Amino acid sequence: MVRASLTAILKGVAMLGAASGAVGASAAANTDGAWTMPSRDYAATRYSPLGSITAQNARGLHPVWTFSTGVLGGHEGQPLVVGDTMYVVTPWPNVLYAFDLTREGYPLKWKYRPEVSANALGVACCDSVNRGAFYADGKLVYNLLDGHTVAVDASTGRELWKTQIADLGSGETVTMAPLVVRDRVIVGASGGEFGIYGWLKGLDLATGRLVWTVHNLGPDADMGVRAGTFRPVYDTGSDLGARTWPQDSWRRGGAPVWGSISYDAELDLIYYGTGNAGPYNPEERPGDNKWTSSVLARRPVDGALVWAYQFTPHDSWDFDATGAMILADLIIDGHAVKALVHFDKNGFAYTLDRSTGRLLVAKPFAPENWAKSVDLATGRPVVDPTKQTGVSHGNVRGICPSLEGAVSPASPAAYSPRTHLFYTSTNNLCMDYLASHASYLKGTPYIGVTSPYTGGPGGYLGSFIAWDAARGVKVWENREPFPNWSGALVTGGDVVFYGTLDGWFVAADARNGRVLSRFKVGSGVVGNPMSYRAPDGRQYVAVYAGIGGDWALLSGDTRSDDPTDVRAPADFLKDIARHTSQGGIIWIFGL
Amino acid sequence: MRHWTLALLFVPAFALLSCAKENAPAGAVSTAPPAARYEAHLAAGSALPPGATPTNPHAGDAAVAKQGALLFATMNCDGCHGGDAAGWVGPDLADGRWRYGGSDAEVFSSIYYGRPKGMPAFGGVLGTEGVWTLVTYLRSLPAPPDLPTESWVEQSRP
Repeated sequence: MVRASLTAILKGVAMLGAASGAVGASAAANTDGAWTMPSRDYAATRYSPLGSITAQNARGLHPVWTFSTGVLGGHEGQPLVVGDTMYVVTPWPNVLYAFDLTREGYPLKWKYRPEVSANALGVACCDSVNRGAFYADGKLVYNLLDGHTVAVDASTGRELWKTQIADLGSGETVTMAPLVVRDRVIVGASGGEFGIYGWLKGLDLATGRLVWTVHNLGPDADMGVRAGTFRPVYDTGSDLGARTWPQDSWRRGGAPVWGSISYDAELDLIYYGTGNAGPYNPEERPGDNKWTSSVLARRPVDGALVWAYQFTPHDSWDFDATGAMILADLIIDGHAVKALVHFDKNGFAYTLDRSTGRLLVAKPFAPENWAKSVDLATGRPVVDPTKQTGVSHGNVRGICPSLEGAVSPASPAAYSPRTHLFYTSTNNLCMDYLASHASYLKGTPYIGVTSPYTGGPGGYLGSFIAWDAARGVKVWENREPFPNWSGALVTGGDVVFYGTLDGWFVAADARNGRVLSRFKVGSGVVGNPMSYRAPDGRQYVAVYAGIGGDWALLSGDTRSDDPTDVRAPADFLKDIARHTSQGGIIWIFGL
Repeated sequence: MRHWTLALLFVPAFALLSCAKENAPAGAVSTAPPAARYEAHLAAGSALPPGATPTNPHAGDAAVAKQGALLFATMNCDGCHGGDAAGWVGPDLADGRWRYGGSDAEVFSSIYYGRPKGMPAFGGVLGTEGVWTLVTYLRSLPAPPDLPTESWVEQSRP
């Protein structure tokens, strides 16, 4: 009986969260202290309405609890708090911890250790990351690196179902956080560096059974294009996902899904971005290569495609568009707009009408030089021809941003309905790009580029910015000595939180960027801060410390766990290992 | 920095050819598989399990090593181990340190049969000759001075 009533309360909490997210910018109406889904709400705002921590008292923030996950991979994603429990998913081997927030020291209620193949470590392009779990209907649902989705009973830790969704042998791994809409669990796969045929799948929440599969490229029949439902603003014709590729090269064209998915309940549309086109030498795939580097809007019930917009046609720079699609109701030129805002790897921040996919604003939010602008009439970037890459172009020098992106899609932005500003990490790196022929060998990398990086203009390598998406204007910027790779959190107290690659956790004034407090958290931050109200009634902020993701590859000298793998520092980032090395720590801060 | 380098398309034919030529590692006794053991193994009672130790027919051949460098890119080895085998998502193979032993026969076993944590078995597509070609390349990389120390002392001086 006790358990039954607790479950009922938890369900109530989840529904509150869902309701707040579905109405986008009005999330402020929800004063609940829970965080039940990866981006806190369906609109992906990462806005917590809790307001106890303010610009006036944030100086008093201090660590109140830490826990070592026992894992050293890059700790992306964020904890969830549902009722009196905090849930944490680790990088591979994807352990799920449940902490009891009602007891001193937050002891574990249970931990769940799935069986997950070590082979996945060699198929994942960029470290063994996981971007978190989703709570729905008494279950924690999340993905395993080796291509499975699992559902775990939130109160007991028992595995309820486990479904294979991806195929390691074809180069597919899974790092993204699922989205649950009603009884549908929506998932996608990584593998843009392995020549996958990118897809999105819908599973049944109760059983894990596969309900639908749609591809992000290929012929209409594969893409979930049904008669009369697909209306892209800037394109016409059928089979766009196949006709914009030579022969059948779409079959290994990439378009992975490794970021997050958002949802508008009123329009009943899910939104997600697709990754890069493969291989990296664009001359092997003349054409727009739809729908790589795009945002797609689909019906959750059957995956039917409703609209799509391509940020980077004929991707020639590894510009994935898998970063968050944030839904907010903005006033643009005096008109109320149901907007979708996206910070792209390519350096532009896009504001679209999320009902139709029409582009409203597109402005650079970080240094870039590959495109002069984005034409609002055609929706297309005006590419600088001297920055076009390909084997015939030889070594193309000085392209900004680098293929790490002006922001990593692994570093989701936040939106405050109080300040009407968006907050995001940025990277300021440029690259040379020497494309080469790539040979497809199933289950192995399918790439073909040499692309050394250099620091971008201005003498800093990253920053954290506030952005006005209605006007396309940067409002303030805190520059950092290293690329900034953490997600953002903004709260009802008008405080914004982020971490740095060298391991500082920072609280800043959301209105002007003034740093209010900071603390060295033991390892570089590549995770996303979140805020919750504990059973003691107080507001806390939690974040992971654990450098990794691309930095496990780029800065091999931050690793100390393998005496047979000793690497020189990256020449564009010589000092990072002086300030941080691998870790796996959950931090909680309070007043 | 990403170092994925030149990839040529001649290899599938090359691999087929070498597969057709022979199926067992060169130098192996036909009834015994190549040893799975390596130098760093601890053996109970100091008794190593039996197994053939194949010899590299191309050891020290610079022309074959050059061919192996191309093969390293063409077979997408560089996609995981980085350009010049300097390490990426897979370990550095040019640092003179080896998880599973660095002798020709040990490196052969790692490539031919694969290793845990995602190193695929390439024996099936490369055949014996292709694997020896890669071994010859990797063993030709200049042995770096063993520098276990990374220091920032100099730059902190005024």
